[in-house]
Amino acid sequence: MRRVGGARRGLDMWLVQRASALYMLLFLPVFLARAWLAGPLDYLVWRGLFEPVAVKVAVLLFVAALLAHAWIGLREILIDYLHALVPRLALYFLFATLYLGCLAWSVDILWGVRP
Amino acid sequence: MRFRIHRYDPESGAAPSLRDYELDFDPKGRKVLDALIAIKDTLDESLAFRRSCREGVCGSDGVNVNGRNVLACVTPLEGLKEPIVIRPLPRLGVVRDLIVDMAQFYQHYRAVKPYLINLDPEPESERPQSPEERAELDGLWECILCGCCTTSCPSFWWNPDRFLGPAALLQGYRFIADTRDQATDERLDFLEDPYRLFRCHGIMNCVEVCPKGLNPTAAIGKIKSLLVKRAL
Repeated sequence: MRRVGGARRGLDMWLVQRASALYMLLFLPVFLARAWLAGPLDYLVWRGLFEPVAVKVAVLLFVAALLAHAWIGLREILIDYLHALVPRLALYFLFATLYLGCLAWSVDILWGVRP
Repeated sequence: MRFRIHRYDPESGAAPSLRDYELDFDPKGRKVLDALIAIKDTLDESLAFRRSCREGVCGSDGVNVNGRNVLACVTPLEGLKEPIVIRPLPRLGVVRDLIVDMAQFYQHYRAVKPYLINLDPEPESERPQSPEERAELDGLWECILCGCCTTSCPSFWWNPDRFLGPAALLQGYRFIADTRDQATDERLDFLEDPYRLFRCHGIMNCVEVCPKGLNPTAAIGKIKSLLVKRAL
């Protein structure tokens, strides 16, 4: 049987990779500058940074962008180097579970910060 | 001059190996192909390699010299570190010595339909283009299909049967960019999958080795831009 590629998947992934990189690029300097301006960082000041809901949302988006970016990078690596179906699928499953777990955990951490 | 050349004769049953040659040869103003021809003439007539125009136009003598894909006919001997190691282009099957099987390469080339598709009735004389429209094709039409770029691309090494490779993608864009072509949408459809185009990670090995100084990575980038424009 002829091998055919899944249509329309390449562009979406490529765009998400660019978009997530852009968000991280915009978020990181702003967040770090904000942390720097907040004065000498001890635990309470650091914790205080995450109290506004807007910051929680922005950080959660950052985590989501990071995970999406990592997922696409991982997918590229597996497509390039790992051609056997079963190990590739197993690794997809493993990392999908791991990354989704990280996302859920981040929600718990962020919304666990209360004044 | 000392040479170390890849030898393989499938009929002998022997494993491929590198053989050393010592050639009394003045490198001044001469090219790698001159040395290969001299070795074949004076030292070892069984050495097999492709060559034709011997001036960088036909694209038949692509080889790997000291780890770099080049056209033997336009690569000066002067400045090359000895022993000069000459191998066939990477990743393609070896037919014999320095001769590779280009079937996969041409298959990808055919796959991008490297010809004008225009369903309008044929005009009396020609299909005119403005000078600006014609200028779009510069840097694309010059490709001689030597295979140096595609065989230096790791994405092609890992997925040679599914990633089209820089040469075929450059040719694909040559017809996408052509104002006389009417199959742009179909051409873009064909390229929009995870393998054919999107295995390119932009490492630019192709640009680095192209003996004609072309830029397949830029062409691939333009195809990506067109795909994005079309999708949004």
